[in-house]
Amino acid sequence: MDVTGTQSHGATRIKHGNERLSGWLFCMPMLVILGVFLVIPITMALWVSFSDWSGRGSPFSSHVNFAGFSNYAAVLTKPGLAQSDFGTAIRNNAWYTLLVVPLQTLLSLLLAVMLNRRILKARGFFRTAFYFPSVTSSVAITVLWMFLFGASGSINAMLSWVGINGPNWFNDPRGLIQILLGSIGISKGPSVLTQHGLLGLSWWEWLAGPSVAMFAIMLMVIFTTSGTFMLMFIAALQSIGEGTEEAAIMDGTNAWQRLWHITVPQLKPTIFTVVTLGIIGTWQVFDQIYTGTKGGPSKTTLTPAYLSYSAAFDNQEWGQGAAISFVLFVIIIVMTWIQRQLMKDRKMSRRKTAYYAAMKAETLASAQSASGLGTGQGSARSTSTGDAEHV
Amino acid sequence: MMRGRTAMATAITAVAAMVLTACGGGGFSSEDSASAGSLTSDSSKELNVLIASSGDPETTAVKAAVAAWAKKNNRKATVSVASDINQQLSQGFASGSPADVFYLAPEQLAGYAANGSLLAYGDQISNKDDYYQSLLQSLSYDGKLYAIPKDVSTLQLVINTDMWSAAGLSASDYPKTWSDLESVTAKLTSAGHVGLSFSPEYARVGAFMAQAGGGLVNKDGNKATANSAASVKGLTEVKKLLTSGSAAYASDLGAGWGGEALGTGKAAMTIEGNWISGSFSADYPDLKYKVIDLPEGPAGKGTMQFTNGWGIAADSADQQGAVSLVNYLASNDVVMGFAKAFGIMPGNKTLATQWKDDYPALSPFMDGLKYAIGVPTAKGASTVVSDFNSQLAQLKTTEPKTILDKTQTNLEAIIK
Amino acid sequence: MSETHTSLTPVTLRQTDEGRFRRALHSLIHGRVLLYLALAVIALIYILPFVIQIATSFKSDADAAANPVSLIPEVWTTAAYRRLFLNSDFPVWFKNSVIVTLVVTAGRVFFDSMAGYALSRLRFPGRNLIFTLLVAVMSVPMVVLLIPKFLIIKTLGIYDSYLGMILPLLIDASGVFIMKNFFESIPRSVEEQAMIDRAGTFRIFWSIVLPMARPALVTITILSFQGSWNELSHFIVSTQSPALTTLTKGVASLASGQLSAGSQYPIKLAAAAVMTIPVAVLFFAFQKRIMNTSEGSVKE
Repeated sequence: MDVTGTQSHGATRIKHGNERLSGWLFCMPMLVILGVFLVIPITMALWVSFSDWSGRGSPFSSHVNFAGFSNYAAVLTKPGLAQSDFGTAIRNNAWYTLLVVPLQTLLSLLLAVMLNRRILKARGFFRTAFYFPSVTSSVAITVLWMFLFGASGSINAMLSWVGINGPNWFNDPRGLIQILLGSIGISKGPSVLTQHGLLGLSWWEWLAGPSVAMFAIMLMVIFTTSGTFMLMFIAALQSIGEGTEEAAIMDGTNAWQRLWHITVPQLKPTIFTVVTLGIIGTWQVFDQIYTGTKGGPSKTTLTPAYLSYSAAFDNQEWGQGAAISFVLFVIIIVMTWIQRQLMKDRKMSRRKTAYYAAMKAETLASAQSASGLGTGQGSARSTSTGDAEHV
Repeated sequence: MMRGRTAMATAITAVAAMVLTACGGGGFSSEDSASAGSLTSDSSKELNVLIASSGDPETTAVKAAVAAWAKKNNRKATVSVASDINQQLSQGFASGSPADVFYLAPEQLAGYAANGSLLAYGDQISNKDDYYQSLLQSLSYDGKLYAIPKDVSTLQLVINTDMWSAAGLSASDYPKTWSDLESVTAKLTSAGHVGLSFSPEYARVGAFMAQAGGGLVNKDGNKATANSAASVKGLTEVKKLLTSGSAAYASDLGAGWGGEALGTGKAAMTIEGNWISGSFSADYPDLKYKVIDLPEGPAGKGTMQFTNGWGIAADSADQQGAVSLVNYLASNDVVMGFAKAFGIMPGNKTLATQWKDDYPALSPFMDGLKYAIGVPTAKGASTVVSDFNSQLAQLKTTEPKTILDKTQTNLEAIIK
Repeated sequence: MSETHTSLTPVTLRQTDEGRFRRALHSLIHGRVLLYLALAVIALIYILPFVIQIATSFKSDADAAANPVSLIPEVWTTAAYRRLFLNSDFPVWFKNSVIVTLVVTAGRVFFDSMAGYALSRLRFPGRNLIFTLLVAVMSVPMVVLLIPKFLIIKTLGIYDSYLGMILPLLIDASGVFIMKNFFESIPRSVEEQAMIDRAGTFRIFWSIVLPMARPALVTITILSFQGSWNELSHFIVSTQSPALTTLTKGVASLASGQLSAGSQYPIKLAAAAVMTIPVAVLFFAFQKRIMNTSEGSVKE
């Protein structure tokens, strides 16, 4: 991204020396705050992740020893509770990401396509209705969800109208895939899957699928994020215009074909952004777990973010907590990189390359405030739609 | 550009220097926990008391007692109710500004004591031999007593007497054995409620393991016995009750704990402790219930016992004041006041008889002390127990031995 | 889904095939009904939870448990709200959220726009480096920062204080980004005139540039307000005393049963409803701006 810009600098010369100073002065608050509350603490935490600090006194005092990779080993390679907890958290979050990202992308795309009709009456009303959950706090939504999906909550009451005996959502640790397999009579995995595993979990446990409780959380997150992403898609759709599509309608192609062959390819950059933000956000789920399930039932809603927090703040395993957060950092980077590789065009025009560079920077900008997912993604909307429109 | 980079580097260095200076300065307190002779005594500071409350009656009673002490000693002291006391204590210790006095659970004690967060003030308590030895043991670490027991609790069977008689049962049907329990549980089950309900945690199902002669650890807490034959037998009985359909976990009934399941009529019996008396009179004043002994298992009577200590932070600015406050809170009158307000049992022998006389209906809880087992207290035990608890949720579909084997491995890793 | 694509804008048609056109028209009208039907159902799903929430907050505990779907309480009661406002720490939480949100929003708008202005308009050595660092910093996921933030806040001695709650939130890298993009989009001529008049940089920024940036300022005001009002994790690691608890932290503790061991849904839902009001008001007040972002932070 060209940051120096291409503005004229005729007048700039007049105040050159002054600008040099004011430039730094203007950036100083940002530099100090980001430096003190971001850069330095990350270095401190990096040290903690390699130390045996147990949470009292200074992590830099002489009582604290360098512990090598032992904290990382405890969660990654050494069989034990710390490792299997970490494995469980990764399992839970992987399923969560795998389902939430496609579903929220599809839903928000669908909503946007439906609303992007010029003739549609009450369009403003629908947009407001779909977007409203995105502005509320994840804490408030979680409290509401705990009620709706309670054992005798609203959802189960409604299900009972149609004769379905709903599960006890937030207390049901059964994996969805295992429920499915169980319904066709498979309740034990083959020994190939049960005898071998990764990170202290057998493959059978990895394949259990998200628990019913996690599924309820997924629905909640999709409910709160779809509005934000919908707005991004709407902005992108508006910039595409309806011309090509209208011609296509008359050519007799059906709506489905038009969506897949005309609209979606043009939306690719926005889809890319939405998926990237989705991946970054879903790997950080914390607020909902802290407020709602605290990792239960049976640790099936434990996520790496929550595990990192509870290892440090509940169990005095600060080194392990910090180690988990750095591993999580790496996971997020790797996941977004993989996604980039998968969604990348094989041949990229120069214009597109430039566009992707801009998109990348803007994605990062949005991800910053999208952290914790839930509702923070408001900012994703304004930056990203801005650029989508621009292109 | 070159100059820009230098300037940037300078700025970062400056900021780093600033932070490091702060590190060396007042940011951290000293590492040493005060020894008995040299307690801090800055009485200008307000004393903070952090409690985990079972409800309004407990909060009000503790606040009143602390206020009384403060008035008598012309001090300031506040009571805060924690929503998650482990987290709040850990964060407080790590931040260097913990609460001065707090409820301290034995399973958390080792972790805090090991990093020097706690003041080992036990030697300064005059009547410490009056407390039950098993309680003192569970509140000690490395040979030092870190807290005196605030109270003691045991589990027994609590029954809804209306449902009991509605099912055609009488006092002669009180279950004496596991098979008695199975049959009354079945009889008490109807379309509207199950016969028996309890929380999926070691602190409840452990009673069955005790009745079979097992438990997660042995009596001295220095050997893991999670997958012993006796423990497996106890957990198998729990599984049998659950799979029969006449017993269910409270969480599966949409209740937060067994008492709520009983109070809201979702279960006819529950396994809970003496704290029910306080919360039932507050939340379910119309509920008619009776406390009876848990049935005997293959190894005779068995139940769980719990205690909470009064902990004092090593980082407290006024350890002397804190010890004085704890002495006051542990004095006979205050303890009996707490018993009256929210149903605690005193942890010392002197008060036991008086308590039984005052609360005959709750006397099974006091009797339980004779045969109760405790919870594991080794460092890291709380994580292992919570892992065990999380597996219990799936007991219905899992072999008890599988669960206990895993817990055995985890316990062996922490008990050395 | 396939039928939902409708468009009746007048298009000049080359009607080579009358029948095909009629079929298309028919399917369009047909599709329109389906579209409205689908939208109405989805809108109901999105709105109903909030209606249930408000209705339940006026129910008694028993009513809420027995009739979780009914939208009209058997007996209207404001017990939950009275308990919240008169007999709990809720007013303190509310006060703290207001204080922190106002200060953080003001600070972010000011500092974000200052930095954004410098990065887009002022020429000084190190600008590229700062920008690169900013982008790098933005790539750090927030949850990774829980432990680090706690460590630094404690080290600086501002743990459990308003300072510790507010300072780390004062800059929002994405806000800087938005402002930078915006400043790059507006013409430079006005400032240049002022520069020739030898006005100071800060004065130019304050009295000339900022007023022009109103649309972008509104955008980051909304984002900052919403972001800090809804912030949870930072307050968990920066405070411990009940006097500094914010709404998010307080309501989260309510959810895990701080006031009572029972389920008590009306009071929890009432608390969640009240904490939603300020962002909802902001949302409805600036709805147009939020929905039509194209006017906001967008480059021309």
